[in-house]
Amino acid sequence: MIKFIAANKWFKNSHVLKNINLEIAKGEVIVICGPSGAGKSTLLRTINKLEPIDDGEIIVDGMYISDPRTDLTALRAEIGMVFQHFNLYPHKTAIKNITLAPRKVRGLSRKKAEERALKLLEKVGLDHRQDSFPVQLSGGEQQRVAIARSLAMEPKIMLFDEPTSALDPELINEVLDVMTSLAREGMTMVVVTHEIGFAQKVADRVVFMNDGEIIEIGSPPDIFVNPQHERTKEFMSSVFHIPIFSESQEEE
Amino acid sequence: MIDLLGQFDNIRFYLLGPYPKGDIGGLALNIILTILAISFSFIFGALLGYSRLSCRRYIKLPCMAYIEIVRATPLIMIIFWMYFFLPYLVGGHATIISSAVVSLSIYAAAYQAEIVRAGILAVPRGQLEAALSTGMSRYGAMRHIILPQAFRIMIPSFVSFFVSLFKDTATVFIIGVIELTQAGIIISQRDPDKMYAAYLSMAIGFWCICFTMSHLARRLEKRVGVFDLESIRPDACRDEFMLLPKQKKTGEGIEESTACAPEKPV
Ligand SMILES: Nc1ncnc2c1ncn2[C@@H]1O[C@H](COP(=O)(O)OP(=O)(O)O)[C@@H](O)[C@H]1O
Ligand SMILES: [Mg+2]
Repeated sequence: MIKFIAANKWFKNSHVLKNINLEIAKGEVIVICGPSGAGKSTLLRTINKLEPIDDGEIIVDGMYISDPRTDLTALRAEIGMVFQHFNLYPHKTAIKNITLAPRKVRGLSRKKAEERALKLLEKVGLDHRQDSFPVQLSGGEQQRVAIARSLAMEPKIMLFDEPTSALDPELINEVLDVMTSLAREGMTMVVVTHEIGFAQKVADRVVFMNDGEIIEIGSPPDIFVNPQHERTKEFMSSVFHIPIFSESQEEE
Repeated sequence: MIDLLGQFDNIRFYLLGPYPKGDIGGLALNIILTILAISFSFIFGALLGYSRLSCRRYIKLPCMAYIEIVRATPLIMIIFWMYFFLPYLVGGHATIISSAVVSLSIYAAAYQAEIVRAGILAVPRGQLEAALSTGMSRYGAMRHIILPQAFRIMIPSFVSFFVSLFKDTATVFIIGVIELTQAGIIISQRDPDKMYAAYLSMAIGFWCICFTMSHLARRLEKRVGVFDLESIRPDACRDEFMLLPKQKKTGEGIEESTACAPEKPV
Protein backbone atom coordinates (compact mmCIF):
# COMPACT_ATOMS: atom_id res chain seq x y z
CA MET A 1 0.00 0.00 0.00
CA ILE A 2 2.80 2.39 0.94
CA LYS A 3 6.36 1.78 -0.13
CA PHE A 4 9.36 3.96 0.72
CA ILE A 5 12.33 3.36 -1.55
CA ALA A 6 15.55 4.97 -0.35
CA ALA A 7 13.72 8.17 0.53
CA ASN A 8 15.79 11.13 1.68
CA LYS A 9 14.90 14.56 2.83
CA TRP A 10 16.88 17.61 3.85
CA PHE A 11 15.80 20.83 5.53
CA LYS A 12 18.53 23.25 4.44
CA ASN A 13 21.60 21.41 5.68
CA SER A 14 20.04 19.00 8.11
CA HIS A 15 19.37 15.53 6.84
CA VAL A 16 16.00 14.72 8.42
CA LEU A 17 15.11 11.50 6.59
CA LYS A 18 18.02 9.21 5.89
CA ASN A 19 17.56 6.50 3.32
CA ILE A 20 14.13 5.35 4.46
CA ASN A 21 13.06 1.92 3.18
CA LEU A 22 9.74 0.69 4.45
CA GLU A 23 6.86 -1.25 3.02
CA ILE A 24 3.43 -1.09 4.57
CA ALA A 25 0.81 -3.61 3.52
CA LYS A 26 -2.89 -2.99 3.06
CA GLY A 27 -4.70 -3.19 6.39
CA GLU A 28 -1.53 -2.98 8.40
CA VAL A 29 -1.26 -0.78 11.48
CA ILE A 30 2.18 0.73 11.95
CA VAL A 31 3.20 2.64 15.05
CA ILE A 32 6.17 4.96 14.78
CA CYS A 33 7.97 6.06 17.89
CA GLY A 34 11.23 7.75 18.70
CA PRO A 35 12.60 10.84 20.38
CA SER A 36 11.48 14.35 19.51
CA GLY A 37 13.17 15.61 16.35
CA ALA A 38 13.72 12.09 15.05
CA GLY A 39 11.76 12.89 11.88
CA LYS A 40 8.56 11.01 12.70
CA SER A 41 6.24 13.84 11.66
CA THR A 42 8.28 14.51 8.57
CA LEU A 43 8.12 10.86 7.56
CA LEU A 44 4.35 10.89 7.97
CA ARG A 45 3.97 14.12 6.04
CA THR A 46 5.97 12.83 3.08
CA ILE A 47 3.32 10.17 2.53
CA ASN A 48 0.71 12.72 1.46
CA LYS A 49 3.34 15.09 0.11
CA LEU A 50 2.77 17.85 2.63
CA GLU A 51 6.55 17.60 2.60
CA PRO A 52 8.16 16.61 -0.70
CA ILE A 53 11.13 14.26 -0.55
CA ASP A 54 14.42 15.24 -2.19
CA ASP A 55 15.62 11.83 -3.25
CA GLY A 56 14.20 8.33 -3.63
CA GLU A 57 10.57 7.47 -4.15
CA ILE A 58 7.39 6.76 -2.23
CA ILE A 59 4.66 4.74 -3.87
CA VAL A 60 1.22 5.13 -2.33
CA ASP A 61 -1.49 2.86 -3.70
CA GLY A 62 0.26 2.74 -7.05
CA MET A 63 0.89 6.49 -7.22
CA TYR A 64 4.48 7.72 -7.40
CA ILE A 65 4.58 10.78 -5.21
CA SER A 66 7.61 12.41 -6.79
CA ASP A 67 6.19 12.04 -10.27
CA PRO A 68 5.02 15.53 -11.29
CA ARG A 69 2.14 13.96 -13.21
CA THR A 70 0.66 12.45 -10.07
CA ASP A 71 -2.59 14.17 -9.19
CA LEU A 72 -2.00 15.57 -5.72
CA THR A 73 -5.70 15.94 -5.05
CA ALA A 74 -6.34 12.30 -5.86
CA LEU A 75 -3.38 11.25 -3.74
CA ARG A 76 -4.41 13.30 -0.73
CA ALA A 77 -8.05 12.39 -1.02
CA GLU A 78 -7.08 8.79 -0.40
CA ILE A 79 -5.04 9.60 2.67
CA GLY A 80 -6.65 10.94 5.82
CA MET A 81 -4.48 12.85 8.26
CA VAL A 82 -5.07 13.59 11.93
CA PHE A 83 -2.93 16.19 13.66
CA GLN A 84 -1.63 16.68 17.16
CA HIS A 85 -3.51 19.96 17.52
CA PHE A 86 -6.65 18.77 15.72
CA ASN A 87 -6.62 21.70 13.26
CA LEU A 88 -10.39 21.85 13.03
CA TYR A 89 -11.70 24.85 11.12
CA PRO A 90 -12.71 27.19 13.97
CA HIS A 91 -15.23 29.15 11.89
CA LYS A 92 -17.25 26.08 10.96
CA THR A 93 -19.48 23.81 13.03
CA ALA A 94 -18.53 20.18 13.55
CA ILE A 95 -20.73 18.97 10.72
CA LYS A 96 -19.52 21.70 8.33
CA ASN A 97 -15.94 20.73 9.15
CA ILE A 98 -16.76 17.24 7.99
CA THR A 99 -18.84 18.02 4.90
CA LEU A 100 -16.52 20.61 3.37
CA ALA A 101 -14.04 18.35 1.62
CA PRO A 102 -16.53 15.73 0.40
CA ARG A 103 -18.58 18.52 -1.16
CA LYS A 104 -15.73 20.52 -2.65
CA VAL A 105 -13.40 17.70 -3.62
CA ARG A 106 -15.70 14.75 -4.25
CA GLY A 107 -18.56 16.91 -5.47
CA LEU A 108 -21.15 15.35 -3.15
CA SER A 109 -24.46 17.12 -2.72
CA ARG A 110 -25.01 18.83 0.61
CA LYS A 111 -27.61 16.24 1.58
CA LYS A 112 -25.40 13.26 0.75
CA ALA A 113 -22.43 14.83 2.51
CA GLU A 114 -24.48 15.54 5.62
CA GLU A 115 -25.82 12.02 5.75
CA ARG A 116 -22.32 10.69 5.56
CA ALA A 117 -21.10 13.17 8.18
CA LEU A 118 -23.86 12.22 10.60
CA LYS A 119 -23.00 8.55 10.26
CA LEU A 120 -19.37 9.31 11.01
CA LEU A 121 -20.24 11.54 13.95
CA GLU A 122 -22.31 8.69 15.31
CA LYS A 123 -19.38 6.37 14.82
CA VAL A 124 -17.12 8.61 16.90
CA GLY A 125 -19.91 9.09 19.44
CA LEU A 126 -20.63 12.75 18.73
CA ASP A 127 -23.84 12.85 16.74
CA HIS A 128 -25.35 15.15 19.38
CA ARG A 129 -22.60 17.75 18.86
CA GLN A 130 -23.03 18.29 15.13
CA ASP A 131 -23.84 21.99 15.46
CA SER A 132 -21.12 22.84 17.97
CA PHE A 133 -18.19 25.01 17.00
CA PRO A 134 -14.74 23.57 17.75
CA VAL A 135 -14.18 25.91 20.72
CA GLN A 136 -17.29 24.49 22.35
CA LEU A 137 -15.86 20.97 22.24
CA SER A 138 -13.35 19.36 24.58
CA GLY A 139 -9.98 18.33 23.19
CA GLY A 140 -11.03 14.70 22.93
CA GLU A 141 -14.23 15.65 21.13
CA GLN A 142 -12.33 17.91 18.76
CA GLN A 143 -9.94 15.14 17.89
CA ARG A 144 -12.81 12.73 17.26
CA VAL A 145 -14.43 15.27 14.95
CA ALA A 146 -11.08 15.62 13.20
CA ILE A 147 -10.96 11.86 12.70
CA ALA A 148 -14.49 11.93 11.31
CA ARG A 149 -13.47 14.76 8.99
CA SER A 150 -10.67 12.64 7.55
CA LEU A 151 -12.86 9.58 7.25
CA ALA A 152 -15.49 11.53 5.33
CA MET A 153 -13.25 11.37 2.28
CA GLU A 154 -13.34 7.57 2.58
CA PRO A 155 -9.58 7.28 2.56
CA LYS A 156 -7.67 4.05 2.13
CA ILE A 157 -4.94 5.14 4.51
CA MET A 158 -5.06 7.09 7.76
CA LEU A 159 -2.08 8.96 9.17
CA PHE A 160 -2.04 10.05 12.81
CA ASP A 161 0.59 12.44 14.12
CA GLU A 162 0.64 12.20 17.91
CA PRO A 163 -3.16 12.39 18.04
CA THR A 164 -3.37 12.21 21.82
CA SER A 165 -0.34 14.12 23.01
CA ALA A 166 -2.21 17.42 23.29
CA LEU A 167 -5.01 15.85 25.31
CA ASP A 168 -5.66 15.71 29.03
CA PRO A 169 -5.06 12.17 30.29
CA GLU A 170 -8.73 11.45 30.92
CA LEU A 171 -9.59 12.29 27.32
CA ILE A 172 -6.98 10.10 25.68
CA ASN A 173 -8.94 6.87 25.77
CA GLU A 174 -11.99 8.13 23.93
CA VAL A 175 -9.72 8.96 20.99
CA LEU A 176 -7.73 5.74 21.20
CA ASP A 177 -10.98 3.74 21.27
CA VAL A 178 -12.05 5.30 17.98
CA MET A 179 -8.64 4.52 16.50
CA THR A 180 -8.75 0.97 17.77
CA SER A 181 -12.11 0.27 16.19
CA LEU A 182 -10.84 1.80 12.96
CA ALA A 183 -7.87 -0.57 13.03
CA ARG A 184 -10.19 -3.50 13.66
CA GLU A 185 -12.16 -2.57 10.56
CA GLY A 186 -9.03 -3.12 8.52
CA MET A 187 -7.93 0.46 7.86
CA THR A 188 -4.31 0.89 6.86
CA MET A 189 -2.90 3.14 9.56
CA VAL A 190 0.40 4.84 10.27
CA VAL A 191 0.39 6.25 13.78
CA VAL A 192 3.03 8.33 15.47
CA THR A 193 2.34 7.83 19.15
CA HIS A 194 3.91 7.04 22.46
CA GLU A 195 0.77 5.33 23.78
CA ILE A 196 2.32 1.97 24.47
CA GLY A 197 -0.96 0.30 25.43
CA PHE A 198 -2.49 1.23 22.11
CA ALA A 199 0.58 0.00 20.25
CA GLN A 200 0.57 -3.32 22.09
CA LYS A 201 -3.07 -3.83 21.35
CA VAL A 202 -3.39 -2.89 17.69
CA ALA A 203 0.00 -2.39 16.05
CA ASP A 204 1.20 -5.03 13.64
CA ARG A 205 4.66 -3.54 13.61
CA VAL A 206 6.45 -0.81 15.52
CA VAL A 207 9.04 1.38 13.85
CA PHE A 208 11.65 3.03 16.03
CA MET A 209 13.24 6.14 14.56
CA ASN A 210 16.15 8.20 15.72
CA ASP A 211 17.92 11.10 14.08
CA GLY A 212 16.21 10.62 10.70
CA GLU A 213 16.89 6.92 10.49
CA ILE A 214 14.76 3.85 11.02
CA ILE A 215 16.71 2.05 13.73
CA GLU A 216 14.57 -0.99 14.07
CA ILE A 217 11.26 -2.48 13.05
CA GLY A 218 9.49 -5.28 14.83
CA SER A 219 6.40 -6.52 16.60
CA PRO A 220 5.36 -4.47 19.65
CA PRO A 221 6.96 -6.85 22.15
CA ASP A 222 10.15 -6.94 20.08
CA ILE A 223 10.52 -3.20 20.20
CA PHE A 224 9.10 -2.36 23.61
CA VAL A 225 10.31 -5.29 25.67
CA ASN A 226 13.15 -6.75 23.70
CA PRO A 227 14.83 -4.02 21.68
CA GLN A 228 18.04 -4.96 19.94
CA HIS A 229 19.68 -1.58 19.55
CA GLU A 230 21.25 0.38 22.33
CA ARG A 231 19.48 3.58 21.28
CA THR A 232 16.09 1.87 21.36
CA LYS A 233 16.74 0.43 24.80
CA GLU A 234 17.75 3.83 26.12
CA PHE A 235 14.65 5.45 24.68
CA MET A 236 12.24 2.82 25.92
CA SER A 237 13.55 2.91 29.44
CA SER A 238 13.59 6.70 29.62
CA VAL A 239 10.27 7.45 27.93
CA PHE A 240 8.11 4.54 28.87
CA HIS A 241 9.72 3.97 32.24
CA ILE A 242 9.95 0.31 31.37
CA PRO A 243 12.78 -1.22 33.31
CA ILE A 244 14.82 -2.80 30.56
CA PHE A 245 18.11 -4.00 31.81
CA SER A 246 21.01 -3.91 29.48
CA GLU A 247 23.24 -6.93 29.44
CA SER A 248 26.01 -5.22 31.34
CA GLN A 249 23.62 -4.37 34.15
CA GLU A 250 22.40 -7.92 34.37
CA GLU A 251 25.92 -9.21 34.77
CA GLU A 252 26.57 -7.03 37.77
CA MET B 1 -24.35 78.13 21.98
CA ILE B 2 -26.79 80.37 20.22
CA ASP B 3 -24.15 80.95 17.59
CA LEU B 4 -23.74 77.26 17.09
CA LEU B 5 -27.48 76.92 16.59
CA GLY B 6 -27.14 79.69 14.05
CA GLN B 7 -25.11 77.26 11.98
CA PHE B 8 -28.33 75.36 11.30
CA ASP B 9 -29.02 77.85 8.51
CA ASN B 10 -25.97 76.46 6.79
CA ILE B 11 -26.72 72.86 7.53
CA ARG B 12 -27.47 72.02 3.94
CA PHE B 13 -24.13 73.41 2.87
CA TYR B 14 -22.30 71.43 5.55
CA LEU B 15 -24.04 68.25 4.52
CA LEU B 16 -24.30 68.56 0.73
CA GLY B 17 -22.07 71.46 -0.32
CA PRO B 18 -23.18 73.43 -3.40
CA TYR B 19 -25.66 70.67 -4.40
CA PRO B 20 -28.25 70.91 -6.07
CA LYS B 21 -27.01 74.09 -7.73
CA GLY B 22 -23.53 72.67 -8.13
CA ASP B 23 -21.71 69.41 -7.55
CA ILE B 24 -22.34 67.40 -4.45
CA GLY B 25 -20.07 68.31 -1.57
CA GLY B 26 -19.95 68.64 2.21
CA LEU B 27 -20.14 65.67 4.52
CA ALA B 28 -21.85 63.61 1.81
CA LEU B 29 -18.75 64.01 -0.33
CA ASN B 30 -16.48 62.84 2.49
CA ILE B 31 -18.59 59.72 2.73
CA ILE B 32 -18.59 59.18 -1.02
CA LEU B 33 -14.82 59.69 -1.22
CA THR B 34 -14.28 57.23 1.61
CA ILE B 35 -16.48 54.58 0.06
CA LEU B 36 -14.91 54.94 -3.39
CA ALA B 37 -11.36 54.96 -2.02
CA ILE B 38 -12.01 52.03 0.30
CA SER B 39 -13.53 49.97 -2.50
CA PHE B 40 -10.79 50.61 -5.06
CA SER B 41 -8.05 50.25 -2.51
CA PHE B 42 -9.54 47.11 -1.06
CA ILE B 43 -9.28 45.32 -4.38
CA PHE B 44 -5.88 46.77 -5.18
CA GLY B 45 -4.64 46.37 -1.61
CA ALA B 46 -5.81 42.76 -1.31
CA LEU B 47 -3.94 41.92 -4.52
CA LEU B 48 -0.86 43.75 -3.27
CA GLY B 49 -0.97 42.15 0.15
CA TYR B 50 -1.50 38.71 -1.32
CA SER B 51 1.28 39.14 -3.89
CA ARG B 52 3.58 40.45 -1.20
CA LEU B 53 3.38 36.93 0.29
CA SER B 54 4.59 35.37 -2.94
CA CYS B 55 7.83 33.43 -2.88
CA ARG B 56 8.80 34.85 -6.27
CA ARG B 57 11.00 37.86 -5.85
CA TYR B 58 9.93 39.59 -9.03
CA ILE B 59 6.37 39.64 -7.68
CA LYS B 60 7.19 40.26 -4.05
CA LEU B 61 9.75 43.05 -4.35
CA PRO B 62 7.69 45.52 -6.43
CA CYS B 63 4.80 45.06 -4.00
CA MET B 64 7.05 45.65 -1.02
CA ALA B 65 8.49 48.73 -2.70
CA TYR B 66 5.04 50.16 -3.36
CA ILE B 67 3.85 49.53 0.17
CA GLU B 68 6.94 50.91 1.85
CA ILE B 69 7.17 54.01 -0.33
CA VAL B 70 3.52 54.96 0.02
CA ARG B 71 3.51 54.36 3.74
CA ALA B 72 6.53 56.62 4.14
CA THR B 73 4.89 59.47 2.21
CA PRO B 74 2.53 62.02 3.75
CA LEU B 75 -0.95 61.80 2.25
CA ILE B 76 -0.85 65.45 1.33
CA MET B 77 2.14 64.79 -0.98
CA ILE B 78 0.24 62.09 -2.80
CA ILE B 79 -2.73 64.42 -3.16
CA PHE B 80 -0.57 67.14 -4.68
CA TRP B 81 1.21 64.75 -7.00
CA MET B 82 -2.00 63.32 -8.32
CA TYR B 83 -3.48 66.79 -8.67
CA PHE B 84 -0.63 67.81 -10.94
CA PHE B 85 0.23 64.49 -12.60
CA LEU B 86 -3.12 62.84 -13.16
CA PRO B 87 -4.08 65.24 -15.99
CA TYR B 88 -0.82 64.27 -17.74
CA LEU B 89 -1.42 60.59 -17.13
CA VAL B 90 -4.94 60.54 -18.53
CA GLY B 91 -4.02 62.96 -21.29
CA GLY B 92 -5.28 66.40 -20.39
CA HIS B 93 -8.46 66.40 -18.42
CA ALA B 94 -9.08 65.19 -14.89
CA THR B 95 -11.50 66.57 -12.34
CA ILE B 96 -10.28 67.43 -8.86
CA ILE B 97 -12.68 64.81 -7.49
CA SER B 98 -11.07 62.10 -9.57
CA SER B 99 -7.58 63.11 -8.51
CA ALA B 100 -8.82 63.06 -4.93
CA VAL B 101 -10.24 59.54 -5.33
CA VAL B 102 -7.10 58.30 -7.07
CA SER B 103 -4.74 59.70 -4.46
CA LEU B 104 -6.80 58.42 -1.55
CA SER B 105 -6.95 54.98 -3.18
CA ILE B 106 -3.21 54.88 -3.80
CA TYR B 107 -2.62 55.83 -0.19
CA ALA B 108 -5.17 53.41 1.26
CA ALA B 109 -4.06 50.45 -0.87
CA ALA B 110 -0.68 50.32 0.87
CA TYR B 111 -2.31 50.15 4.29
CA GLN B 112 -4.97 47.67 3.22
CA ALA B 113 -2.26 45.47 1.74
CA GLU B 114 -0.57 45.26 5.11
CA ILE B 115 -3.86 44.53 6.85
CA VAL B 116 -4.62 41.71 4.41
CA ARG B 117 -1.13 40.29 4.66
CA ALA B 118 -1.15 40.32 8.45
CA GLY B 119 -4.59 38.70 8.45
CA ILE B 120 -3.54 35.86 6.19
CA LEU B 121 -0.34 35.27 8.16
CA ALA B 122 -2.28 35.18 11.41
CA VAL B 123 -4.19 32.07 10.35
CA PRO B 124 -2.33 29.12 11.85
CA ARG B 125 -0.36 27.03 9.38
CA GLY B 126 -2.14 23.87 10.51
CA GLN B 127 -5.34 25.14 8.90
CA LEU B 128 -3.83 25.07 5.44
CA GLU B 129 -2.29 21.66 6.10
CA ALA B 130 -5.60 20.24 7.30
CA ALA B 131 -7.37 21.52 4.22
CA LEU B 132 -4.69 20.30 1.82
CA SER B 133 -4.58 16.90 3.48
CA THR B 134 -8.27 16.37 2.74
CA GLY B 135 -7.49 16.84 -0.93
CA MET B 136 -8.56 20.45 -1.30
CA SER B 137 -6.61 22.56 -3.76
CA ARG B 138 -4.57 25.54 -2.61
CA TYR B 139 -7.17 27.79 -4.14
CA GLY B 140 -10.01 25.97 -2.37
CA ALA B 141 -8.17 26.06 0.94
CA MET B 142 -7.56 29.78 0.49
CA ARG B 143 -11.15 30.48 -0.35
CA HIS B 144 -12.95 28.29 2.20
CA ILE B 145 -10.49 28.08 5.07
CA ILE B 146 -7.81 30.76 5.10
CA LEU B 147 -9.56 33.86 3.80
CA PRO B 148 -12.74 33.51 5.91
CA GLN B 149 -10.58 33.29 9.02
CA ALA B 150 -8.19 36.00 7.86
CA PHE B 151 -11.16 38.25 7.22
CA ARG B 152 -12.42 37.87 10.78
CA ILE B 153 -8.96 38.59 12.10
CA MET B 154 -8.73 41.66 9.88
CA ILE B 155 -11.98 43.31 10.96
CA PRO B 156 -10.65 45.43 13.84
CA SER B 157 -7.70 46.82 11.88
CA PHE B 158 -9.83 47.24 8.80
CA VAL B 159 -12.41 49.26 10.69
CA SER B 160 -9.91 51.49 12.40
CA PHE B 161 -8.33 52.15 9.04
CA PHE B 162 -11.74 52.86 7.52
CA VAL B 163 -12.40 55.46 10.21
CA SER B 164 -9.01 57.04 9.85
CA LEU B 165 -9.36 57.20 6.06
CA PHE B 166 -12.68 58.93 6.52
CA LYS B 167 -11.00 61.60 8.61
CA ASP B 168 -8.17 61.81 6.10
CA THR B 169 -10.61 62.72 3.34
CA ALA B 170 -10.59 66.16 4.97
CA THR B 171 -7.10 66.63 3.51
CA VAL B 172 -8.40 66.94 -0.05
CA PHE B 173 -9.77 70.41 0.78
CA ILE B 174 -6.24 71.53 -0.15
CA ILE B 175 -6.91 71.02 -3.85
CA GLY B 176 -10.26 72.78 -3.63
CA VAL B 177 -12.67 69.89 -3.20
CA ILE B 178 -15.69 71.25 -1.35
CA GLU B 179 -15.99 68.51 1.23
CA LEU B 180 -16.96 69.19 4.84
CA THR B 181 -13.76 71.02 5.79
CA GLN B 182 -13.75 73.22 2.71
CA ALA B 183 -17.48 73.87 3.16
CA GLY B 184 -16.85 74.94 6.74
CA ILE B 185 -14.02 77.20 5.69
CA ILE B 186 -16.22 78.85 3.09
CA ILE B 187 -18.96 79.43 5.67
CA SER B 188 -16.54 80.74 8.25
CA GLN B 189 -15.15 83.21 5.76
CA ARG B 190 -18.60 84.55 5.05
CA ASP B 191 -18.97 85.34 8.73
CA PRO B 192 -15.54 85.52 10.38
CA ASP B 193 -17.07 86.34 13.78
CA LYS B 194 -18.49 82.84 14.00
CA MET B 195 -15.31 81.09 12.95
CA TYR B 196 -15.26 78.84 16.04
CA ALA B 197 -18.86 77.78 15.48
CA ALA B 198 -18.03 76.72 11.93
CA TYR B 199 -15.05 74.67 13.02
CA LEU B 200 -17.05 73.12 15.85
CA SER B 201 -19.77 72.12 13.38
CA MET B 202 -17.21 70.41 11.14
CA ALA B 203 -15.85 68.49 14.12
CA ILE B 204 -19.35 67.35 15.09
CA GLY B 205 -19.97 66.19 11.53
CA PHE B 206 -16.82 64.06 11.47
CA TRP B 207 -17.44 62.77 14.97
CA CYS B 208 -20.98 61.58 14.25
CA ILE B 209 -19.90 59.46 11.31
CA CYS B 210 -16.80 58.07 13.02
CA PHE B 211 -18.73 57.17 16.13
CA THR B 212 -21.42 55.42 14.12
CA MET B 213 -18.82 53.43 12.18
CA SER B 214 -16.99 52.31 15.30
CA HIS B 215 -20.24 51.32 16.90
CA LEU B 216 -21.40 49.26 13.92
CA ALA B 217 -17.97 47.69 13.74
CA ARG B 218 -18.13 46.52 17.34
CA ARG B 219 -21.43 44.84 16.66
CA LEU B 220 -20.09 43.17 13.54
CA GLU B 221 -17.02 42.03 15.44
CA LYS B 222 -19.16 40.44 18.12
CA ARG B 223 -21.30 38.67 15.58
CA VAL B 224 -18.56 37.12 13.48
CA GLY B 225 -16.43 36.55 16.56
CA VAL B 226 -18.70 33.87 18.01
CA PHE B 227 -16.60 31.07 16.62
CA ASP B 228 -13.77 31.96 18.91
CA LEU B 229 -15.09 31.96 22.45
CA GLU B 230 -11.62 32.00 23.90
CA SER B 231 -10.55 35.26 22.40
CA ILE B 232 -11.12 38.52 24.15
CA ARG B 233 -14.45 40.09 23.47
CA PRO B 234 -14.28 43.52 21.86
CA ASP B 235 -16.03 45.07 24.86
CA ALA B 236 -13.83 43.43 27.49
CA CYS B 237 -12.45 45.68 30.19
CA ARG B 238 -8.85 45.57 31.26
CA ASP B 239 -9.37 43.39 34.31
CA GLU B 240 -11.10 40.82 32.17
CA PHE B 241 -8.42 40.41 29.55
CA MET B 242 -5.64 40.50 32.10
CA LEU B 243 -7.51 37.72 33.91
CA LEU B 244 -7.49 39.74 37.11
CA PRO B 245 -10.00 38.99 39.84
CA LYS B 246 -12.84 41.49 40.20
CA GLN B 247 -11.51 44.55 42.01
CA LYS B 248 -12.97 45.95 45.18
CA LYS B 249 -13.50 49.65 44.87
CA THR B 250 -10.83 50.55 47.38
CA GLY B 251 -8.04 52.75 46.14
CA GLU B 252 -5.45 50.35 47.48
CA GLY B 253 -6.60 47.33 45.51
CA ILE B 254 -6.77 49.20 42.23
CA GLU B 255 -3.30 50.66 42.68
CA GLU B 256 -1.91 47.26 43.36
CA SER B 257 -3.34 45.80 40.20
CA THR B 258 -2.01 48.57 37.98
CA ALA B 259 1.39 48.35 39.62
CA CYS B 260 1.87 44.74 38.67
CA ALA B 261 0.22 45.01 35.25
CA PRO B 262 2.62 44.79 32.32
CA GLU B 263 2.87 47.89 30.12
CA LYS B 264 1.10 46.46 27.14
CA PRO B 265 -1.36 43.59 27.27
CA VAL B 266 -1.18 41.21 24.35
N1 LIG C 1 9.67 23.08 8.20
C1 LIG C 1 10.89 22.74 8.70
N2 LIG C 1 11.97 23.47 8.40
C2 LIG C 1 13.18 23.15 8.90
N3 LIG C 1 13.41 22.11 9.70
C3 LIG C 1 12.38 21.34 10.05
C4 LIG C 1 11.05 21.61 9.58
N4 LIG C 1 10.21 20.68 10.08
C5 LIG C 1 10.98 19.86 10.84
N5 LIG C 1 12.26 20.25 10.81
C6 LIG C 1 13.38 19.57 11.47
O1 LIG C 1 13.38 18.25 11.07
C7 LIG C 1 13.69 17.39 12.14
C8 LIG C 1 12.60 16.34 12.30
O2 LIG C 1 11.41 16.97 12.70
P1 LIG C 1 10.07 16.19 12.98
O3 LIG C 1 9.77 15.34 11.81
O4 LIG C 1 9.05 17.20 13.35
O5 LIG C 1 10.45 15.31 14.24
P2 LIG C 1 9.49 14.52 15.23
O6 LIG C 1 8.10 14.58 14.70
O7 LIG C 1 10.06 13.15 15.26
O8 LIG C 1 9.64 15.19 16.54
C9 LIG C 1 13.85 18.25 13.37
O9 LIG C 1 15.21 18.43 13.60
C10 LIG C 1 13.21 19.55 12.99
O10 LIG C 1 13.87 20.60 13.61
MG1 LIG D 1 6.36 15.43 15.54
